[in-house]
Amino acid sequence: MRDVVVLGVGATAFTSQTPEVNWKELMYDAAVKAYADAQIDPRRDVDSFITCAEDFWEGFSIFDEFTPDQLGAVMRPMMTVTGDGLQGLANAYMQIKTGMFNIVVVEAHSKVSELLTYEHVVEMAFDPIYERPLSAERNVHPYYVAGLEMNLYLHATGTTEEQCAFVAVQNRRQALSNPLAPYGARIGLQEIYRSGYAFSPLKKWEIASRADGSIVFVLAAEEIARRITKKPLVYLEGIGWSSESPWISARSADAGYARRAAQLAYRQAGITDPRRQIDVIEVEDRFAFKELQHLEALGFARPGEAGWLAQSGALGLDGELKVNLSGGSLGCGDLLEASALQRALEIVLQLRGEAGARQVPNARVGVAQSWRGLPHGTGAVAVFARRD
Amino acid sequence: MLERIEKSSEIRHWIGDMEADHYYYSAGIAGEKFFVALRDEGKIVGAHCATCNLTYVPPRIYCERCFAELTEHKDMGKRGCVVAFTVAHYDKAGQRLDPPESFALISLGPRTTPLLHKLGEIAPEKICVGLEVEAVLKPQREGKITDILYFKPVK
Repeated sequence: MRDVVVLGVGATAFTSQTPEVNWKELMYDAAVKAYADAQIDPRRDVDSFITCAEDFWEGFSIFDEFTPDQLGAVMRPMMTVTGDGLQGLANAYMQIKTGMFNIVVVEAHSKVSELLTYEHVVEMAFDPIYERPLSAERNVHPYYVAGLEMNLYLHATGTTEEQCAFVAVQNRRQALSNPLAPYGARIGLQEIYRSGYAFSPLKKWEIASRADGSIVFVLAAEEIARRITKKPLVYLEGIGWSSESPWISARSADAGYARRAAQLAYRQAGITDPRRQIDVIEVEDRFAFKELQHLEALGFARPGEAGWLAQSGALGLDGELKVNLSGGSLGCGDLLEASALQRALEIVLQLRGEAGARQVPNARVGVAQSWRGLPHGTGAVAVFARRD
Repeated sequence: MLERIEKSSEIRHWIGDMEADHYYYSAGIAGEKFFVALRDEGKIVGAHCATCNLTYVPPRIYCERCFAELTEHKDMGKRGCVVAFTVAHYDKAGQRLDPPESFALISLGPRTTPLLHKLGEIAPEKICVGLEVEAVLKPQREGKITDILYFKPVK
């Protein structure tokens, strides 16, 4: 079957608020940049369009009816994936692989600053009979489940609270070298500790703040891309996704969803030894401990080992594993379904050699991993590579 | 420096509400079993999968691992142990909870899925994994998960 490449990418900067544009203009901004990067005209060249969105995040019923015009997709095949950006990429990948379409656009965004009841929407994702009533009486923040899952993970692996705090420090520092990231900060462990327990053992500054932004990917069949550009191509070598039990109480301590998604993606991409074969890594870190849990699930460390790697400085531009050099969600902000594409964007920039001050020299293979966030256990993994 | 405003309600804007906050959720076959036993007998029941040797609490009519139909129900008793816990310090409006609220995953026996519930009658700093706890039920029950007030430490 034909190979799939990334022909272009575009993104807005990520910020805590975007009052200067409405949600359609935000998407338009990213789309224009992506089409310029891909050297295409969406009205002439793109065969199919995909947005990744969830009605409750958007404040619209049937949000997919509101997406064609700002992407140049009027009167074209257009669909919405109620999932994250990597799940959107997976759909585009299949549309191209099957030969149905040659060029497919994927968009994901966050306009979460305009959602005034974010916490309530998250709570509404809980089981209404067994789970929601427990926190409803005292109006408890639904992120308490992150505290439970962190406790489960620490207990299962022997990872320490300090090791998790290292991740929060590292990713916020790393974000200083990413011009798109709004939450870069030079802070130390003391600031993390001083922020206090939010949902013990999870501390306040180990939780990613939210952000607005939009990201657009243009995928194409390899032979089509070769006709358009002379630039080196980034190949989407494999992509997988998985969901574990929706019951909070039946959740694994080892991010089983990410492990299975990685197995699927690695098999397609021929990855058998991720630690040796993969040069750049972006994993989901909305809660600091999640970075460590996800690194283990993706095979970069044994259970309980990722925390030691974080503490010893092995996760970073100068470390053995180049992890979340973009700043991750702690540095870029929680972009809802677009956090997944932010991860993929960083990998593409790294593989093209366009990552500026945080560039990994001669990066050839990268992996991006997503998690859809609380309270669920759904995630995806994509492997990208340069072949030249 | 880390604090930012994340809600843009102070600029020109229009207010909209999602007309989707009133739903009717059925308990279902397994839920009926669970809530009737809780209300009438003060019992916590689970559904057992013989193939996987795993008991689901609360019960379900199918096993999520092997997809077998589950018809065997077990009285789990009221005692269990804490598998994981958290102490929540914030409410949904971002205000501090005083006192904080403690939640736990509680295992009611070997080879069971734990139950998500609250802890009570214990200081947050005394909670630990492995702590033995028992359910405290409301005297007047209505067939709701909150008929269990919380789990307290076994003296």
